[in-house]
Amino acid sequence: MTYRDRIAAALGDGCRFAGLYASGERVRVVLAAPDGSLRLESAAAEDGRIPTIVDLAAAAAWDEREAADLYGMRFDGHEPLRPLVEHDLDLQSWTVPVRGDDAYQVAVGPIHAGVIESGHFRFRVVGDRILHVDARLFYKHRGLERAAEGRSLAEARAYVQRACAACAVTNSVAYAHACEEVLGLRPSAELARVRTILLELERAWSHLNDIAAVCAGAGVAAGNTFFAALTERARRLNERLTGHRFLFDSAQVGGSALVLAASAVASARDELASIAADSKSGWHELLFNASFQDRLPDIGAVTPDDARALGAVGPAARASGVAEDARTHSVRLAYDGFVPVAPRRVAGDVQARLEQRAVELLQTFELLDALLDRPIGAAEAVSGGDGTAIGLGVVESPRGATLCAVEHAGERIERVHLRTGSYANWPVLAHAAAGNLLPDFPLINKSFELCYACADR
Amino acid sequence: MLTLLRNLRRLRTDVALQAPARGRSLAVRHVDAGSCNGCEHELALATGPYEDIQRFGFGIVASPRHADVLLVTGTVTTRMREPLLAAYNAMPEPRWVVALGDCALARCVLASESEVVGPVESLLPVELRIPGCPPSPATISQALIALHDAIRS
Repeated sequence: MTYRDRIAAALGDGCRFAGLYASGERVRVVLAAPDGSLRLESAAAEDGRIPTIVDLAAAAAWDEREAADLYGMRFDGHEPLRPLVEHDLDLQSWTVPVRGDDAYQVAVGPIHAGVIESGHFRFRVVGDRILHVDARLFYKHRGLERAAEGRSLAEARAYVQRACAACAVTNSVAYAHACEEVLGLRPSAELARVRTILLELERAWSHLNDIAAVCAGAGVAAGNTFFAALTERARRLNERLTGHRFLFDSAQVGGSALVLAASAVASARDELASIAADSKSGWHELLFNASFQDRLPDIGAVTPDDARALGAVGPAARASGVAEDARTHSVRLAYDGFVPVAPRRVAGDVQARLEQRAVELLQTFELLDALLDRPIGAAEAVSGGDGTAIGLGVVESPRGATLCAVEHAGERIERVHLRTGSYANWPVLAHAAAGNLLPDFPLINKSFELCYACADR
Repeated sequence: MLTLLRNLRRLRTDVALQAPARGRSLAVRHVDAGSCNGCEHELALATGPYEDIQRFGFGIVASPRHADVLLVTGTVTTRMREPLLAAYNAMPEPRWVVALGDCALARCVLASESEVVGPVESLLPVELRIPGCPPSPATISQALIALHDAIRS
């Protein structure tokens, strides 16, 4: 079977495209099966050329464009292969042409008006109506993957973690899973529990922050301030538990040094119960605030078919009715019996994405309450398997499934690739904005609340 | 909504914010030159209800044209060099540059050399350095107060 046939067969078996990256002269594609298992397909490029798969999996568009810009791959059939990371090019080369009467451009960024990461949006509009958006990110491209090459497996974790502060635990755990697969290790039950607690603590502050952001986008200062206060409390709790407000360095390869006595765990549980109660009461107020709720429906809607085709992940996908959550099949974590939750109205719009976070947040507090029922001790990964040349890890971040691939030569990293939930969702956000009013874009953007840093790396 | 506002009043009492000092005013323009998003999240909460830097007269403004201070986060990437310089050049004088966070200060930067220009001070005169990875909202607030008092004196 040819490379394209193998990809087509995997997709036909119900696999989800989970990432594509260049490694030396080869292209590797990761596919996630419905049962959560991962399939890796590799193909050698000839003279740097390889057939595209973008017609089979539209979600691969950014991956191929990145591999072309950073690794010189050429994807036959991907026409036009627009630059993504490369910036020194004229407008025509990286934007989709829009022609017709009264169509004009609005350029926004890379520097935005508030405290926002850097990135550029090129809107094509008629009046206030958005016809098309080209997102030009990678202003913050730091070359983290290349910088990690040649480092030891333990050292390289810092590069993956620091791709993004908001997804630091997710990135570290996905990386640790990939490394442990390479080394023939699997987490002990205690290690799985510690990592799951850290991941849910990250989701808690992140979802609180994202609800605050949507309130800000809709001009509801009271809601924004209320949930910003809860975000601050969640970060203070992180610091109390791990010594860092963003839980940096708390998830390591091969084990966990985090020790929490019964009293520390009990007080964390109390604080989480109090934050959960306040967030419930705040959400109740928002739910019955008619002018706020009127602002949210039917804006930035993504249909289930489009969400699937474009490879949407995380709350954005689930709000569109794609009930996928990597936690369902996370055998290396402590999510036994996990079932994804859904909002009452699965409309794929700003309202659904907001409510998705609100209901997931309650689930996160319940998970944390159950997981923090006893003290936490130091934990180690245990032997389990023969080890592999390439390790893969998929973890559900607050923004969706994040893939980390690790290739090694002995103790050294040869190639590491990180494809975060934000990376997967940026093209979906651009698609969601089309057809809406330009002044609604900030609200649509906040309803996705994607990181620029972990897309840019 | 009334409940939200009542809760906020309670929060104010619980946190026991100090009374604002009189006579301070600094308009701050933030530029992310290549951060990991940690400094942004902490800066955003510095304007939140717990730290509330607005009570000291500090505001995040939408344009460098209105700004006294350019607050720069991250190591400067090759792609953010020009936008950063453009923002600085758009500011009226007198103007001050603040480097926020360890990356902006070239401490423990994780990056490929070819993708970054260097720390903020390799491009702009830096008045104030706020270390931390990332600096907490309280640290940011205290540093900005110190900067303002230094300027005034």
